[in-house]
Amino acid sequence: MPMKWILPGMIFMLSFVVFPALYNSYVSFTNWSTGHILTKTQAIKILEDRVYTPEDQKGVEFDMYILQDSNLDFYYVANLDTNNILFGKAVVDDEIFTSSYATHEPSLFVNNEFITPDGYYLLSGKEQIANSTSLQDLSLIIDKNTRIQLYKISVFGASSGRLSSTSQLYTYDEVNDAIFNNASKISCPVVKDNFECEGKEIEPGWRVFVGGDNYRKLFSSQRVRGPLGVVTKWTFQFAFFSVLLCFAVGLFLSMILNKDDMKFKKIYRAVFILPYAIPAFVSVLVWKGLLNPDYGVINTWLGPIYELLDIEPVKWLKTKESARSAVLLVNTWLGFPYMFLITTGALQSIPRELIEAAKVDGASGVQSFWRITFPLLMVSISPLLIGSFAFNFNNFTLIFLLSGGGPPIIGSEVAVGWTDILISFTYKLAISGGRGNLFGLASSVTIIIFFIVLLISAISFRYTKRLERIYGNI
Amino acid sequence: METFKLLKWFKEYGWRHFIALIFVTFAIYPILFVATNSVADFANLTNSKLIPDGFTLKHYKLLSSNPLVPYYKWLFNTYKVAFIAAVFNVFLGTLAAYAFSRLQFKGRRASLLTLVIVQMFPSFLAFVAIYLLFFQISDVAPFMGLGTHLGLILVYLGGSIGFNSWLIKGFMDTISPSLDEAAKVDGATEYQIFAKIIAPLARPILIVIFVITFIGIYSDYILAAIFLKDKNLWTVAVGINTVFIDDFNADWGVIAASSVIAATPIAALFIFFQKQITGGLTAGSVKG
Repeated sequence: MPMKWILPGMIFMLSFVVFPALYNSYVSFTNWSTGHILTKTQAIKILEDRVYTPEDQKGVEFDMYILQDSNLDFYYVANLDTNNILFGKAVVDDEIFTSSYATHEPSLFVNNEFITPDGYYLLSGKEQIANSTSLQDLSLIIDKNTRIQLYKISVFGASSGRLSSTSQLYTYDEVNDAIFNNASKISCPVVKDNFECEGKEIEPGWRVFVGGDNYRKLFSSQRVRGPLGVVTKWTFQFAFFSVLLCFAVGLFLSMILNKDDMKFKKIYRAVFILPYAIPAFVSVLVWKGLLNPDYGVINTWLGPIYELLDIEPVKWLKTKESARSAVLLVNTWLGFPYMFLITTGALQSIPRELIEAAKVDGASGVQSFWRITFPLLMVSISPLLIGSFAFNFNNFTLIFLLSGGGPPIIGSEVAVGWTDILISFTYKLAISGGRGNLFGLASSVTIIIFFIVLLISAISFRYTKRLERIYGNI
Repeated sequence: METFKLLKWFKEYGWRHFIALIFVTFAIYPILFVATNSVADFANLTNSKLIPDGFTLKHYKLLSSNPLVPYYKWLFNTYKVAFIAAVFNVFLGTLAAYAFSRLQFKGRRASLLTLVIVQMFPSFLAFVAIYLLFFQISDVAPFMGLGTHLGLILVYLGGSIGFNSWLIKGFMDTISPSLDEAAKVDGATEYQIFAKIIAPLARPILIVIFVITFIGIYSDYILAAIFLKDKNLWTVAVGINTVFIDDFNADWGVIAASSVIAATPIAALFIFFQKQITGGLTAGSVKG
């Protein structure tokens, strides 16, 4: 019976956390990417829907009028004869099977004069020439096999169109696992994840299992391995220095305020917590404004210093060094309150007598800090420091919203910048890099992150007795 | 004599105040700057200053008048998604926690350990798979596919339910078992013990976990960004990023106003629950 209590919640965890993690591993072994999104069956269906017009099927000529509506879509009117006046939207080949057929509209002609219908604009011959590249690819569909295309543009009077019947361009040949091009009479065999006609890949391809290709690419392709190395190294540096800086500032402040009869202590504490209370995505964007090299306050403040030293103002976030410093500065602002809070708590729990006793034995303030306070502090704080390291290791919001990972690393095969950490690098590969969606490759980077997080957790379990605590609680 | 006293005071306290004040400035400057700029007349970034000359609410009004930037709609979306996800999260988490804390069954240890291990990995790590999964769900069930709030809520639900059950279970373990044993003797059913005894006693932790989950979802960027493509469905985190990019200098006042609205309620909530959030739950390191 306990399942009725547990299952409702666990279903969501299994479906949207555990399953995606497994699915992610699967994707990392496929070529899933732009141009290879579909399954093979879907790709064949799309290819079999493609049509072409055989040369001998091009027929009679007649007057054509070309209209545009407010969405700038093109419409054709074909005047075959007084009984056959066809009107409809002109579409490209890929839309043929989803668009509706042309309709008979005799009312468009009054006394053999064309009347432009309301809501449409009639293109002049010159405008048709200006749009000729788009118009070339458009057809007015009459029925499954017949359509009308623009044949000749005329600057004086009506342009002319031609009727043509179409045939299926590709036929799938199951026996040979190839598609046959009916126009050029060539058989195009499967090459890995595409059909290939005389060495030319036919889009779209489909997704296939590619084994370790993505991992091989990460580690052997020079123009991917280089950036991956840079990003991995920086991810560790970024997480390490973020924790170090936040911890140093937080501990320093809590030490300063750890004085019994000091005034305004409560006010200071309240203020130090503020940066932590604000959602990170807001403060990061505000900092981005403050750091703006042209209008931001930071450069206004530093103006006198720049003048004194006679140097160019720092182009914050635009160069490698300034971007990396800025990311760390902002993360210190975001993270020191947390460290301040936990070190304040930990300091208060260290027995006073220990420090007093050390003082009696003649230890200086510095000595008693490094010999007594700090070691005791680390016992309770170190699991939290490791947790903070793991959090910053994947601190996507900060990096992505502050620097966008930039400035870009020039010459890399994939979109990547100097402040990109592994998770933002993955995001660019998969979603927003502007070089297509490399889902397979991105997933393989995610697997690397998985293993690093696993390693961090193992270290945390090993050195902080967390596992024993967990076992104790089970 | 006076100088000597002052020197002694400085050596003892003064330098502490001095350093504390430096960091007070560091901590509070960006916050004050944005707050004052959001109500300043002529606030573009170039001529912005900490203490503005004129007072105006026009930036807040501008936020609601631009149909290309449906800011208040984003705000509503965010509250809606975060509230629904957090409510179900706490509800389902409490049910599971009750079973883990009070019922004896086979596989209990194994499932608890699985929870802990799964929660080591932030759920957004597998965002590529989540994206592709919901991309395909869109074909079969468009109402919960990519680009829908329902799909996003489901992902948020899965993301923190394990961690929350674990925390709630820890709290329930501290509720004395003699209470429910007495109830059992009186003939109470499993459900009655849960609804009448354990759940009400666990209320303080449930509220805290609701708040943490709510804030966490409110602040999420990556999942909302890959999920929501339609401008009208965006959350604040996704939308505000585009406001900031549009024109940093000229729209600074509006940007400041949008920041204040997005941050204030959450900051207030956090400060109100700060002791509980950072006190009992530091082991989980929810933020930072």
